Amino acid sequence: MLGKLMKYEWSGTWKLLLPANLLIVVTSFFACIMVRQTIFDYDDGAVMLTILVTLTYIVSMILVFVGTAIYLIYHFYTTTYGDQGYLLHTLPVDKHQIIIAKALVSAAWILISSFIMYMSVVFLLNFEGNIYEDFMEALDLIIVTRTDSGAVSVFATMMTLIALIVGIFVRVLKAAACISLGQLSSNHKLLVSFAYYFAIYIIQQLVNTCYIMLLGVVGRKRGTWSLDTSWEFALISGLIYVVVFYLLTWHVMDKRLNLD
Amino acid sequence: MAPIVRCVGLTKNYGRKTALNQIYLNLDRGKIIGLLGPNGSGKTTLIKIMNGLLEPSSGEILINGQRPGVETKSKISYLPERTYLQPGMKVLEVVEYFHDFYPDFQVDRAYDMLARLQIQPYERLKNLSKGTKEKVQLILVMSRDADLYVLDEPIAGVDPASRDYILHTIVGNYNRNATILLSTHLISDVENILDEVVFIRQGNIILQAGAEEIRRNEGKSVDRFFREVFVC
Repeated sequence: MLGKLMKYEWSGTWKLLLPANLLIVVTSFFACIMVRQTIFDYDDGAVMLTILVTLTYIVSMILVFVGTAIYLIYHFYTTTYGDQGYLLHTLPVDKHQIIIAKALVSAAWILISSFIMYMSVVFLLNFEGNIYEDFMEALDLIIVTRTDSGAVSVFATMMTLIALIVGIFVRVLKAAACISLGQLSSNHKLLVSFAYYFAIYIIQQLVNTCYIMLLGVVGRKRGTWSLDTSWEFALISGLIYVVVFYLLTWHVMDKRLNLD
Repeated sequence: MAPIVRCVGLTKNYGRKTALNQIYLNLDRGKIIGLLGPNGSGKTTLIKIMNGLLEPSSGEILINGQRPGVETKSKISYLPERTYLQPGMKVLEVVEYFHDFYPDFQVDRAYDMLARLQIQPYERLKNLSKGTKEKVQLILVMSRDADLYVLDEPIAGVDPASRDYILHTIVGNYNRNATILLSTHLISDVENILDEVVFIRQGNIILQAGAEEIRRNEGKSVDRFFREVFVC
C-alpha cells in the first residue's frame, strides 16, 4: 500500500511542481546565454536585457523555492485534514504508511528543486566550459569535509550529505507535526499550527544555542576556542527531531483525529 | 449473528458541548437502516466515529467486533456529506484509485453505472456539477462489496428527479448480506426502502424500531411520525 500511496501523492503534486522546476531550467538557460553574451560581446542594449533576464531568473528561483514549501504544506493540509482527508483516512491503510508516503514525496520534491537550483547556479557561473570541475568546486563548499591536513574525509563528507538529507526530512515532518497539532484545536486550526511552528522553532534555537555554549565551555577547558559545527550535531539532532515530529504526527492521526 | 455495529456507552464531547451522549446501539446485518434526526442531532458525529475520522471521548464502538482501524475500513464503504475527491482527477482516475485501495471494488459495476448516468470517464471532476460529483462518489461507494455501507446524506444535494435514481442505485447494488446505514432528514424520499429506523436527538438515541412496525403501531408513515416526534 505504501507504493500506491506514494504513486497518488506523486500524481497529486507533479502537475504544479514539475512546471515550477522547469521554469527554473528555462530562466537559468536564458540567464546563462545573456550573461555570456554581455561578458564576451559587450553591448549597451544587451546589458539591460541581461539584467532583466537575470532578475527574472532570481525571482523565479525565490518564487519556486518558497512556493514549493508553501504548496507542499497546503497539499498536506488539504489532503490530510481538509475534505480530501475524508478519503485518505477511510482507506484501509496504516497511518505510518500515510506519513511515510507524504514525507518521502515531499522530501523528494525539495531535493529535486534544490538540485535543479544548485545546477542552475553552477551553469550560470561556469565561464570556462568545465562543468564537472565547477560542480565539484561548489560541492566542496557545501558538503565536502576535510581533515586538518586538508585531505578529503570521505566518511565525514558522506555524513554531512546524510545530515543535509535528514535536515530536509526535519523540515517536512516539522510542518506535518505543526499542522497535525493545530487540528487538536477546535477553532482557528491554521493559526494554532503557526503558533506551534514558532514555539518549536524557538525550542530548536534554544537547543542550538545550548549546544554552541557547551562547545565553548568544553573548548575553553581544553584551551582551544572552537565552535564545532560539523555533521555530528546536525545529524544527531536531526534524527531526534525526525523521530519526535514523526511521532507527534502519528499520534494525532492515529489517536486524536478530529476532522470537522 | 453478532451485530455489524455495536456502540457501548459511546460519548463524544466538543469542548463543553455533548454531541453524543452515552449511546448504546446495535445495528443488525442485512438491513437498510435510516439514521434519522434533525440537523445537529449527532448523526454525522456517530458516522465519523464509525469510520475512524473522530475519536470518541468515552465508550466504545465496534464494527464487526473490532474497533475502527485498518481492518474495519476495508469492510465499510463510506459516503461523506462532502466532496472528498481531488478535483483535478479524471473520473477514470478515481475509479482506478478505488480499485487500487479496495480489494472488494468492482470496476465493471462502476463503469456500468457511470455509463447509465452518461458520465464520461475522461471528464475531470472539477468540470462536473455538484450533483454529478455526488453521483460519482455514490457510484464509487456502491461499487464495493462491503459489509457495511455508511451513507451520510446521500440525496441532500441532488435534484428530486435524481433522488429516485440514487435510491435505486443504492438498493440495486448493495451486497444483500450487508447493512446500509443511511443518514438523512429527507425521510419521505427514503421511507420506502428502509427496514429499520433509528431516531437521534441531541446526541441521544430516542427510538430504534422497524419501519413497518412504526407504520403498524402508530398508524402513520415514518415521515409523519418523525415530524411529530421532532416537532419544533
